[in-house]
Amino acid sequence: MTTALPKKKPVATWALAYLYLAPALIFILVIFVYPVLNLIWRSLTQVTEGVTRWAGLESYRATLSDPVFWQALSNNLRLFLAVPILVVLSLIISSIIFEQIRGWRVYRTIVFIPYVLAIPVVAIVFNNVLQLHGVFNTFLSSIGLKSLTTDWLGTSRTAIWAIMFVVIWKELGFGVILFLARMSSISEELFDAAKLDGANWFQRLWNVTIPQIATVIEFYVVIELITMFSWVFAYILVMTKGGPGTSTWVMEFFIYEKAFPYSQMRIASAGAILVLFFASILMFFQARLRHRVEDING
Amino acid sequence: MKSLQKLMGIIVLAVLLLSACGSPQPAAAPTAENAQPTAGAKTPLLIWYWGEQEAPGMKSFMEKAVQIYNQENPNMDVQAILQESDSLYPAFRAAAAAKQGPDIQYFWGGTQALPDAWMGNLAPVSDYWSQDELNHIPAGQRAETFWDGKQWGVPFYQIGTFWAYNKKMFAQAGLDPANPPATWDEWLAACDKLNAAGITPIGTGFKDGWLGGWMVSYLGQQNMNSIDDLMAAIKGDKSLTEPMYAEWWTRWKQLQDHKCFNDDIMSLDLYQGQDLFEQQKVAMTNHVEPYIAILERKLGADTVGVMRTPAYGTGKLANSVGIPAQVLAITSFSPHKQEAADFLKFLHREDIMKMMYDMSGAITPDDRFKSEWLNVNSDKQIMEWRSKYPLFWYQYYYPPIWETEGSIALGQLLVNGEITPEEAATRWQAVAEKWRQDNPSEVDAYKKWILPPAMFNQ
Repeated sequence: MTTALPKKKPVATWALAYLYLAPALIFILVIFVYPVLNLIWRSLTQVTEGVTRWAGLESYRATLSDPVFWQALSNNLRLFLAVPILVVLSLIISSIIFEQIRGWRVYRTIVFIPYVLAIPVVAIVFNNVLQLHGVFNTFLSSIGLKSLTTDWLGTSRTAIWAIMFVVIWKELGFGVILFLARMSSISEELFDAAKLDGANWFQRLWNVTIPQIATVIEFYVVIELITMFSWVFAYILVMTKGGPGTSTWVMEFFIYEKAFPYSQMRIASAGAILVLFFASILMFFQARLRHRVEDING
Repeated sequence: MKSLQKLMGIIVLAVLLLSACGSPQPAAAPTAENAQPTAGAKTPLLIWYWGEQEAPGMKSFMEKAVQIYNQENPNMDVQAILQESDSLYPAFRAAAAAKQGPDIQYFWGGTQALPDAWMGNLAPVSDYWSQDELNHIPAGQRAETFWDGKQWGVPFYQIGTFWAYNKKMFAQAGLDPANPPATWDEWLAACDKLNAAGITPIGTGFKDGWLGGWMVSYLGQQNMNSIDDLMAAIKGDKSLTEPMYAEWWTRWKQLQDHKCFNDDIMSLDLYQGQDLFEQQKVAMTNHVEPYIAILERKLGADTVGVMRTPAYGTGKLANSVGIPAQVLAITSFSPHKQEAADFLKFLHREDIMKMMYDMSGAITPDDRFKSEWLNVNSDKQIMEWRSKYPLFWYQYYYPPIWETEGSIALGQLLVNGEITPEEAATRWQAVAEKWRQDNPSEVDAYKKWILPPAMFNQ
């Protein structure tokens, strides 16, 4: 025998649902929405002699017509090149370690250590390593490659790539550990079946491992894209302070420079909103791509 | 029903708490009324300062000075907090945005300080100091923070910015240690001779960029006749591509071409490069007065000498000397402005000025500072130059963006050989034009910055 539930008024149900949602909504509004609205407000106004005045879209015009802004954005995009390199290297290294070669635990630890180091520490160390008279150039000279030595961080041509190298060095461990964790949960039977079919190491990697860890790879790609777009400030500040010239400015550095040394909070706010806009476009395409992949996979 | 009531209660509480935290208006500024200590309570005074980096011993001095002041004024509770170089401005700007923070803030002088006056973050010191009191400060140093008829900063200590040179290395290279180069040609010849003797002429660092502000201030003003010439370029009446403003880039390039600088200048930060002088690996370095005095004490007066920047220019400012002042200013949101002004006066008291010099080597720009207190040759020499030559420090008058995207960014490219002096001048002019276009209110502020040339001993 079933007992009929007492009928509730739809309005009361609706109100109760929102009531339960209210704490989370308020939290999101205050923590996420308020700062964005505040930034938008700052980007549309100007403070002069303590008085706030409406400035309209002037800050956006100033930002978008600033060649340094575009240089900063292009440097962020250049750093995106680190993402496929990270994915490939992480895949190769994690696959090798996954084979449990002799000493694999030691290799795993060694690969992961850079990831747990603080960015300023890493940046200071590489500052010294990459100096004109630093360890790296000394090494190159000692093996007869003196012609390749240069001031890696002090030359516009090489500085952003040198920073990218350091970011890859630090971020690689995260990818390796992430992929290894997922690989260890793949059914052994899949690998055994592939071996029985005569698949070699690369074929097993391509046809078994990668499809099985695809979601983790996608997660890693997204995290690293975000890192390259909005988590490289500390490297820049410690290693080059944006120089030589403005060759290593990135968006975060642009915002920082405008906000503090230049005292142009409205330009910094406009820059921040534009970064948010570009990041949103990136996330939109990433979501679209994911849906398409899911559709293809049924 | 009970749980619903509980939930309602939690939500109401959360809304109240969050609305208190997340008000779109900045927190209300403490007012004189609401910040008054209750009877018997001490008046708090917070100071954010800097200086240990260029005047070692400054931290000990400030701690001692605060201790003396608190003892002499039992109703006061002064606290001084040393700031890091990179956080000095960001921390203050954040505090100013919240209208909560220090009562007294340290600034590098001139246009490193005035933008905060323009933003409304500072209160005029001249509202609390009489003109007689202000007149004790040399006019050329006061000019750096004298704007719209008011004084916005009180010079804390001066930083004569000159060149330290190693007399023994000069002698070794066949140069006269008693007469360092005074003209441009002599300077280039000195570089050549030092290089020939296997000695790196100048040790410095440019990776962190600070050198750009020094170089423009050593060289950039040499064709100008007065502050008005610089103001004309800032306001857009003159172009930075004109020879008067552009020649210094060529001169800087000449130094580079004559291999005057250490080859790893772009690998080292400023302080790292300057350390090469202390290690006696280079013959010259750019440095500030308190530190030159330290070098003289450390390496001996028979080793360390001080020289002015050799002149190439034809303007009245060709022989000017840069003895700018770092300043302390009263914040507009301080509830204790008068007390802050009183503490600043205390720092200009004779015994305190002497104590600061003894402990940190820093000289207070004040005519009550006695020359007989000076105990090293370099300080005596610099004080003599201060009274003899026009005082001018370019960096403290131009908009900060002229530096970050100009003398620093373009200077680095020039040093690397990536641009020519002509390209540097053209791009600098473009930076200036963009600044004027984007910041009309700052341009207006400059228009109000009228400084009589007499303030510069001109």
